[in-house]
Amino acid sequence: MQFNLSLTAADLILLMPEIFLTIWLCVILALDFSLKRITHQQLAYLSIAGLGITALMLFIFDQNGTTGALFKDMYVLDHMAILFKIIIVGATALVLFMSIDYVEEFRFFKGEYYFMVLMSAIGMMFMASSNDLLSVFVTLEFSTFGFYVLVAYLRNDQRSSEAGLKFFILGVFAAGLLAYGISLVYGETGTLVFSEMAGTEGSYGLAIGFILIFAALGFKIGAVPFHAWIPDTYQGAPTPVTAFLSLAPKAAALAILLRMFFVALASFKPMWVLLFVVASIFSMTYGNVVAIAQKNIKRLLAYSGIAQIGNIMIGLAAGTKQGSDAIMFYLLTYMFANLGAFAVVIAVSKAIKSDEIEDYNGLNRRSPFLAAAMLIFLLSLAGVPPLAGFIGKIYLFIAAMNQELYTLLIVGLINIVISMYYYLIVVKKMYINEPTDSSPIQTSLPIKVAVYAGIAGTLLLGIYPGPFIDWAVDATLMFSNIAGPTASLPAIPGG
Amino acid sequence: MGEYSLLIILFAPFLGAIALIFIPRQEELMVRMTAAISAGISLLASFYIFFAYDPIKGGFQFVQRFAWSEELGIAFYVGVDGIGGPLVFASAILLFAGIFVSWHIKDRTKEFYIFLLILAAATIGVFMSLDLFFLYFFYEMSVLPMYLLLGVWGSHTKGYLSMTDPEGLKLRDSVDFIFNFGSNSKEYAAMKLVLFLSAGAVMALMGILLIYHMSGLHTFDILVLREQAKFTDTMSTLIWLLIFFGFASIAPIWPLHSWSPVGHAAAPAATSMLHAGVLMKLGHFSIIRVGFEILPEATRDLMWIAAVLCIGSIIYGGLVSYFAKDTKYIIGYSSSSHMGYIFLGMASLSYISLSGAVIYMFAHALATSMLFAMAGWVYDQTHSRDIPSLGGLSEKMPFIAGAFIVGCMASIGMPGTINFVAEIMIIVGSWDKYPLQVVVAVLGIVLTMAYMFKMMRGLFYGKLDPEFAHTADAKNWIDRMPLILLIACSIILGIFPGHFYDVVSSTVEPMIDRINQVAPLVTQNSQGLLP
Repeated sequence: MQFNLSLTAADLILLMPEIFLTIWLCVILALDFSLKRITHQQLAYLSIAGLGITALMLFIFDQNGTTGALFKDMYVLDHMAILFKIIIVGATALVLFMSIDYVEEFRFFKGEYYFMVLMSAIGMMFMASSNDLLSVFVTLEFSTFGFYVLVAYLRNDQRSSEAGLKFFILGVFAAGLLAYGISLVYGETGTLVFSEMAGTEGSYGLAIGFILIFAALGFKIGAVPFHAWIPDTYQGAPTPVTAFLSLAPKAAALAILLRMFFVALASFKPMWVLLFVVASIFSMTYGNVVAIAQKNIKRLLAYSGIAQIGNIMIGLAAGTKQGSDAIMFYLLTYMFANLGAFAVVIAVSKAIKSDEIEDYNGLNRRSPFLAAAMLIFLLSLAGVPPLAGFIGKIYLFIAAMNQELYTLLIVGLINIVISMYYYLIVVKKMYINEPTDSSPIQTSLPIKVAVYAGIAGTLLLGIYPGPFIDWAVDATLMFSNIAGPTASLPAIPGG
Repeated sequence: MGEYSLLIILFAPFLGAIALIFIPRQEELMVRMTAAISAGISLLASFYIFFAYDPIKGGFQFVQRFAWSEELGIAFYVGVDGIGGPLVFASAILLFAGIFVSWHIKDRTKEFYIFLLILAAATIGVFMSLDLFFLYFFYEMSVLPMYLLLGVWGSHTKGYLSMTDPEGLKLRDSVDFIFNFGSNSKEYAAMKLVLFLSAGAVMALMGILLIYHMSGLHTFDILVLREQAKFTDTMSTLIWLLIFFGFASIAPIWPLHSWSPVGHAAAPAATSMLHAGVLMKLGHFSIIRVGFEILPEATRDLMWIAAVLCIGSIIYGGLVSYFAKDTKYIIGYSSSSHMGYIFLGMASLSYISLSGAVIYMFAHALATSMLFAMAGWVYDQTHSRDIPSLGGLSEKMPFIAGAFIVGCMASIGMPGTINFVAEIMIIVGSWDKYPLQVVVAVLGIVLTMAYMFKMMRGLFYGKLDPEFAHTADAKNWIDRMPLILLIACSIILGIFPGHFYDVVSSTVEPMIDRINQVAPLVTQNSQGLLP
């Protein structure tokens, strides 16, 4: 295989957002080192400005239809990649807004925190564009790199170190699985590019290879049975990092999953549909049932995240263009609701120094704003109209219904009721219970920005989702003719 | 403004709720006035549509349609027929009355009114939706505010409060206790209500999604679906059962009723009023709108289920009411018993009985909300809902006592109130098909009389406990106005039901004809209502 790495100016344009962000990142690091007087807040706002410019660039690309492929299709920038990148950039910006207060408490390496976050963001932006198993491996490891550091950022906190170690060991294990899977797939097909794999003959080597790759990506998105690291890591990591971890890597990994299964493996659809149906049912049920027993809000959100990924996998199980549209729309809704919820968690824990759900008692009396925001976010996660999560869930269910996945639908619907219970328990603490300490809670401006952005997004996507649905629909035109099942595994010899 | 009246009715409470967010919480009077004004606008507009509805033209009127998502086949599509119109009117009356009934709420007034307005607006939204998606959207939206209204501003039952020993105190505030079925704290009631209704809702959602997909039309438009949707027999039976039991859980039909009296008992007065008055009718209404309109054959074949279960509702609810000691429990169980009459009227599938059922929904909304409003007043004054400890209150609150008697009479179905008209229609209309149920229904009326009189005597007559010597009557116009409004509506419509009956029957008759296969559906297109 020969790579043609010579780039023309037109090719460089496609890489512009990443190149710009990389330069910006270096500037921020340089400023942090060279200017003694620069505060970490200024660095944060600089980073957010850089992300804003990147998002603007992506938006212009989307409007002008600036798309294309680079490096022999290893890197593609299509509308789907742009949409995923916008989600990642948006999530990163929201996370930075919530970080400002939190970073204040760090003893050292305040500036480097922003560097790490941006670096992971760049890695995930590349992930959204990778169209080749090799670039999947490289970009995935690149983005995870930053997270290994970020999760263990609270050096004096045992939980944070434990979380970092758990995340690291399991992450490296997943990377090993991924590399093994890639080698198997390459051995069977002789190619690494997704689009060239479409239509290959089925074989057990290929099947095992892809299952291993799925396992590695399942680790990223936190699907059952690859979820074991999630609760401890979420609880131990600094809360803004948890928020970041709960959304951006999932979005990036979903982009890869969509490309891998909807393009490369389109001809094996009946088999992977079963895989996703099973993974989805287990993720939803496990996440929701275990969330009931949680006493810590970060753990609760961790388990709810597992359940949400189960919901998202309904779209993968549908295996249609509508399914992928629904996934992208759901990710948008999930971004606002989930990041908003974490922003409230940060604001509350700053005031009361606790993440226990018990300490949310009477939040409505202490800060009506935070309580109302949390109410909106939790209900959106539970899927209550007129909030965004409701439309997202209905969209996924419609996609599944059109594929007649009845078992999955029934389990999904039952899970809505289960999830309602534990979200409402938090609501009960906030609204019904009386506070033990009724001093009001003040919220700083950056957190307010993040919370308001979350509320605005949750309401807008819930009440007027039309344009956003159309956006998602336009982004996945390439899936509009997913090949029907043509290939199958060979019969087991003698079996 | 005529054609926009539905939007005004629907969005006035929503906008009121949004306006309330920006009003500082100290300005309690302004908060209340804003809520009252937005509900008042809604009431005026619904008054207009109730009387401007043209029964000769029939069909859906005041129709408004806006594209919402072409991709999913959803449009924001509202309009009322002879069934939705009166129920929208009832919701608006109850919201307006409810705001004045809860005028004295001191704790977090602002949030209370926000949730109350959202609850009422969502209920109104269901009654006017012509799109299955939005029907479900508003339906589900009406459930959640109930949780907070019950949980925050509700009241515990006596058994819960009596646990004052240290052990009991620790126990009663633990989460595990919520699962204890003997407890009936307000948190338990609220959680039970939400979980029951959500479970019912997702069942109905499954039915709605099946309609969406199996009809092959991929639209949620009820008018298109009722004209074009065709299902196989098994599929339509399955969908009908999902729709029926999904929505009947909010109605609530026996044996799915157990959340409802508990919820009524825990709720603050205004919430009980809306809950018993209109929220429960969402169930009947949605069964009519989805089941009767889209699946007429299955309705004809399967509606006997409702006729069977309504016996349970009437007898069980009535007997429990007779033996209950808690005022709100009595009214709550009596509501769930009276829901049986509506199911009977619906099950008989005749012009008169179904019209009667629709009128009964309206009548019951007025009568039962009067009773809840006054039970709430008594509770606010005495902090007790326990009938044996009360008594002789007519000395202290003559106006409330008088109004309560009118409310009881309306509930029993005394001639002169709209309830009488409705009850007679259900009984007469159902006799041909379900004579046994009619006998049960008449017995139910006797039972209603028994427990209503018992409750009246227990509350207002006999010896006054000196503990309640300080209690006061409703003297301000603000306190009296909602009761007078409800009584006036009930009696005026009871004496002049002509227009009301015309409105209802203009919709019911073609619907029944279609279900009984007498006549095919007269499409809206042929009436020139749609472009």
